[in-house]
Amino acid sequence: MVQERRILYEHLDVPNINTFDVFRQHEGYTRFEKAIADFEPDDIAKMVMGSGLKGRGGAGFSTGLKWSFVPRDIEPRYLCCNADESEPGTFSNRYVLEKNPHLLIEGILICCYAMGIETTYVYIRGEFTLGKKMLDAAIKEAYEQGYLGENVRDTGLNINIYTHPGAGAYICGEETGLIESLEGKRGQPRNKPPFPAVEGVFMKPTVVQNVETLCNLPFIVGNGVDWYTKMGPTYADMRNDPPTPDPNTGTKLYCISGDVNEPGVYELDLGLTCSELIEVAGGLRGEEVKAVIPGGSSAPILTHYELDTRLDFTSLTLAKSMLGSGGIIVMNETRNIVDCLLNIMKFYAHESCGQCTPCRWGTPWVRDIVQRIADGEGRQTTITRPKFGITESGRWGDTGETEEIYEDLDLLENVANNIANVDTMTWNTICVFGIAVSWPAVSYMRKFRPEFEAAIREGKLVTLPVAEATVPPEENYAYQQRIIPQEFADL
Amino acid sequence: MSDEIVQIETPFQFNEENKREFDELIGRYPVKEAAMLPTLHLAQRQEGYITPAVMKYVAELLELSVMKVKDVVTFYPMFFEEQVGKYVIRICHTLPCALRDCKVVLEHLKAKLGTDVASETDLAKGTTDDGKFTLMKVECLASCDVAPVIMVNDDLYKNLTPEKVDKLLEQLPN
Ligand SMILES: Cc1cc2nc3c(=O)[nH]c(=O)nc-3n(C[C@H](O)[C@H](O)[C@H](O)COP(=O)(O)O)c2cc1C
Ligand code: SF4
Ligand code: FES
Repeated sequence: MVQERRILYEHLDVPNINTFDVFRQHEGYTRFEKAIADFEPDDIAKMVMGSGLKGRGGAGFSTGLKWSFVPRDIEPRYLCCNADESEPGTFSNRYVLEKNPHLLIEGILICCYAMGIETTYVYIRGEFTLGKKMLDAAIKEAYEQGYLGENVRDTGLNINIYTHPGAGAYICGEETGLIESLEGKRGQPRNKPPFPAVEGVFMKPTVVQNVETLCNLPFIVGNGVDWYTKMGPTYADMRNDPPTPDPNTGTKLYCISGDVNEPGVYELDLGLTCSELIEVAGGLRGEEVKAVIPGGSSAPILTHYELDTRLDFTSLTLAKSMLGSGGIIVMNETRNIVDCLLNIMKFYAHESCGQCTPCRWGTPWVRDIVQRIADGEGRQTTITRPKFGITESGRWGDTGETEEIYEDLDLLENVANNIANVDTMTWNTICVFGIAVSWPAVSYMRKFRPEFEAAIREGKLVTLPVAEATVPPEENYAYQQRIIPQEFADL
Repeated sequence: MSDEIVQIETPFQFNEENKREFDELIGRYPVKEAAMLPTLHLAQRQEGYITPAVMKYVAELLELSVMKVKDVVTFYPMFFEEQVGKYVIRICHTLPCALRDCKVVLEHLKAKLGTDVASETDLAKGTTDDGKFTLMKVECLASCDVAPVIMVNDDLYKNLTPEKVDKLLEQLPN
């Protein structure tokens, strides 16, 4: 069985680890001290690039690469720590903030040193009152101990951290929405480019980084790149000739919820399979896995045929889904997928920021279609096509072929794909919230089409047995082109 | 909303403690407008909800038009423009909580409090007659591992069942 490897969460349950003294006894701030004593800022940036660290907040973008886009000649530069954690199914940042806030501060310090940043804003979602309280207290201690403020540890560095509360809007997790919200406006995402790395908060270069991403930095600096890259698989990127390494290194704080016996956060090397994770989380609650959402509610769903998929950035992208925020939601045989989609679509319809017409109108429209299907009022028509054959009177003629058309399912796919097209991966919206809507809508419907059809046909929600609820991959175009990546070392 | 149209009966002002906190806040940002959300949170904590007088006061503090403040207040679900109960009960109803029977807890709360669920435009609908509770549904509270969850004002309660809800409600002081 796969073992947990606790690195970020190693000291999480140590009593009073939230205080400076106890944190200090557990190597606290030694990695930052090592960074300033042994390395130049550019060395740190190179280490982060070399570690292959990818953003843990959702997009999975290479952190080192993001840092390299930041122009070093424009002052001031800012760091925004994204602690808005609102993606349904995700809850790993909360525990860091509430239990081990000094670890985040140390990560921020290393990032600030590497990027020459003096001001950091930690954007914490408004509901995290305890998390904000704990982080504020830790920041206060760090100021008192001389790790923050002017002339940090006599190095001449000035580093300030401020917490900034959100106010309940999911879209403020999107990096440019976060920036607008931080500036005191409605949290409506900006058009990109320019990207925040070039023009972010207060129109200055800004690094936006998730809590978990920043918490990886002390360990990369403390233990070195070689140590870090040993964890997790490195695949071969076949798009390049010769193939280049595509790292999925490090551990991930997998958040697992839904129908498992022991839901919670499990820190494991990237790259274990879906079924392994379910095992680690105490096994399935129920008889059979019906579906798994692998990366927060925005991610396309996986069926029981896909439980061997490895939960890392590359494997899931190639399986036409995503690791996203690492929020894994498991559903057993008693769940109705139409009902689950309805729940998720209500969420998105509520959270659209309303700037773009396709998203503002399309999302409630998708929700209404699913609602109609769930209420047993899904639309269906019978069409008759001419067909040459032997008619009732025994002569050759038009026998008329009838076909059942699930009008609402076509409409659902059409509306969703016009918000953002999941096949071409193009979106008609300002931010990728559009994809986060159409991805679940289209993938649930395509992969669990029999269940949707049954609801329309029978005029009520029908929960089909797992084997019947989804068609085998060979017969379903939703799975086509699913590719299993190859490890670089095996080439 | 021009300043003249707003009928302000009693002007609003920060109490001393909040004024001090505000003065500290404002120094964190290169532009005053950026202090908007923390300032509104402070004001809401003092006044209970965001009244026209609060908006006018915040606008003056941040040197903005009242319209700008209203613009922000209407965007964020955590800011109330109506009186709410002493205890605001937020119940999560997103998928992971739904898979753990949050509906049962919601129905129990509704029956127990004798109220409906508030909507964003009608908070009174979810407020009890004695003004003690406001019940509202919210989206994922990032605690899906201990679902179903509710928040009562600033505190999170986990793994709820109707029995736990009963106990919890009894404990709350009047
Ligand atoms: C609709 C939407 C919501 C998002 N919500 C969050 C969030 O709650 N927390 C987070 O860290 N990133 C969130 N992101 C991702 C951020 O835009 C951004 O990619 C991330 O904060 C970058 O940090 P990272 O590279 O460290 O992951 C969201 C993105 C979108 C499109
Ligand atoms: S896609 Fe939706 S959430 Fe994103 S900017 Fe447009 S309206 Fe707002
Ligand atoms: S769904 Fe309820 S806390 Fe996440």
